[in-house]
Amino acid sequence: MSEMLGNQYFMARNYPAAQKELEEVHFNDPSNKSIIKKLIICYTQTGKVKEAINLFNKLINEDIDFIIDTHPQLDDCPCPELIEKIESRGDVVEKSCDYYLVLGIVWLYCDIKKSYDYFKISKEMDPENKQIDMALEIIENHLHYQN
Amino acid sequence: MNINDNLKDHILDSIAEGVFTVDKNFRINFFNKAAENITGHNREEVTGKFCKHIFRSEFCFYDCPIATVLQANKNLLDFESTIHTKDGTSRPIKLNAAVLYNEKKEPTGGIVTFRDISELAAIKKSLHKETQFQGMIGQSKQMLGIYELIQEIADSNAPVLIQGESGTGKELIANAIQKISSRKNNPYIKINCSVLPSNLLASELFGHVKGAFPDAIKDRAGRFELADKGTLFLDEVAEMPLQMQIQLLRVLQEGTYERVGESITRYSNVRIIAATNINIDEALKNGKFREDLYYRLNVIPIYVPPLRERREDIIPLIQHFLTKFSLFYKKDITEIEESAIDYLINYPWPGNIRELENVLEYSFVRTTNKNRIESSKLPNSILSFKPQIKENDNLKNFPSASQSKTEMLMLLEKHRWNKSAAAKELGIGRTTLWRKIKQLGIAVE
Repeated sequence: MSEMLGNQYFMARNYPAAQKELEEVHFNDPSNKSIIKKLIICYTQTGKVKEAINLFNKLINEDIDFIIDTHPQLDDCPCPELIEKIESRGDVVEKSCDYYLVLGIVWLYCDIKKSYDYFKISKEMDPENKQIDMALEIIENHLHYQN
Repeated sequence: MNINDNLKDHILDSIAEGVFTVDKNFRINFFNKAAENITGHNREEVTGKFCKHIFRSEFCFYDCPIATVLQANKNLLDFESTIHTKDGTSRPIKLNAAVLYNEKKEPTGGIVTFRDISELAAIKKSLHKETQFQGMIGQSKQMLGIYELIQEIADSNAPVLIQGESGTGKELIANAIQKISSRKNNPYIKINCSVLPSNLLASELFGHVKGAFPDAIKDRAGRFELADKGTLFLDEVAEMPLQMQIQLLRVLQEGTYERVGESITRYSNVRIIAATNINIDEALKNGKFREDLYYRLNVIPIYVPPLRERREDIIPLIQHFLTKFSLFYKKDITEIEESAIDYLINYPWPGNIRELENVLEYSFVRTTNKNRIESSKLPNSILSFKPQIKENDNLKNFPSASQSKTEMLMLLEKHRWNKSAAAKELGIGRTTLWRKIKQLGIAVE
């Protein structure tokens, strides 16, 4: 188990391997925001959407700016490329609630308004989902204070 | 001794190797002068940036040296890689990598030292072009047979056992098989089985788990695991301890093994190429090498003949090594005196090609202010060797001293003074021909 190895796998976009390493680090150091930020992306890429939204809500509730202030180049954030990939996949796969949820999560690293829009769509598809409610509430509050 | 940071930087700036360090997020936090020269980037522009954005190598994604160190828990030495310089050109480098730890033994960063091997790579490439087959030299019937066999068997997964005296080029043959096989893009791991005691060899080959023995502070993958889907070259296999031979036999028979100290059975998908320089028959007779293992390994046997049994390869080898040393030493010595060639052709070469290379390097280094190596520059061991000349029946055809000077001159003219060809027509060795020419008083260069 090594944070550094997890970081390298993440940097090399090897999400399953990064997830395995970072999960263990997160277990031993649950307050490490850098690890959570990467782990959320790993979960969106390995199909663990439930785990992704749980961690996502935990982090944005504590410090939403930690995600919003991400710089694609300076922070080596993979979200722009992931968004492009996911959105282009949208032409051929069924656009499920999870599909929009993942886009809502990854868009927050790049553009809060887009993220909000995708969470709204996912909410329409799954109105009872409490995790979506929580994400929307935090984002709405942030947008409100921004304005 | 407490060295302050400025002094440390000054020391690191004064060395010829590029050095950079990264933090645990792989952001560069030190970059020395040589690294600036090799990459074209200056320290200020790279500090704080991710190393993959600076070096832009595919290795950053698939074979990051620091990740390799973290996975194997062992420093990486002389690893060949390629980076892109600031102007976009690709540059081959050789690097060493290590991980830096804090007092809690947690990885906190990494250090990579590297040197530019563009020139070396260009030399290798140019030498490789001159070789007959995948870096090998030799046009003898035996070597041509080996090249053909390699091509036939490269794609199979069957084990190969390469036998031959020390210095005959067994590793080059293993490399050639790997290079043209379907596993060429997968790991190629080498291990010398004679240098490690049984307990360490087991850990090297199969890996170990934490606590398996006092020094096993972490889990570690073995060579079989690292070579997964690839090729494992077991050099000096017949010198492997008997206990290990049993374990190796099991992997070959069942394709399974366990890490030392662990009961989980792992599956092996590895092609084995083994090599030995010892007399296998004797080793089998003395019980030093297990017969069952021998038959498992010897599915595709390759025998590399000693140099003395393929003397026609000596001249191409001499030419190859002279070209190589000319490039390495930047000295224009591309010729060798005829009499020196005779010495080299008649010598029995117990150390084979490796010995020939060493002899030529010695003579090359001793040659100054001339563009050809003279026999006087050869080592004493070669000059003092007295070949046992067997005058064969063909010598009966050789012209007698009284009437032969003209005939010899005609013969030499016919072969454009190529003495090897003339000697061949007469059915004698080059040295004998050389002696006869001298006896006849024919002036030769």
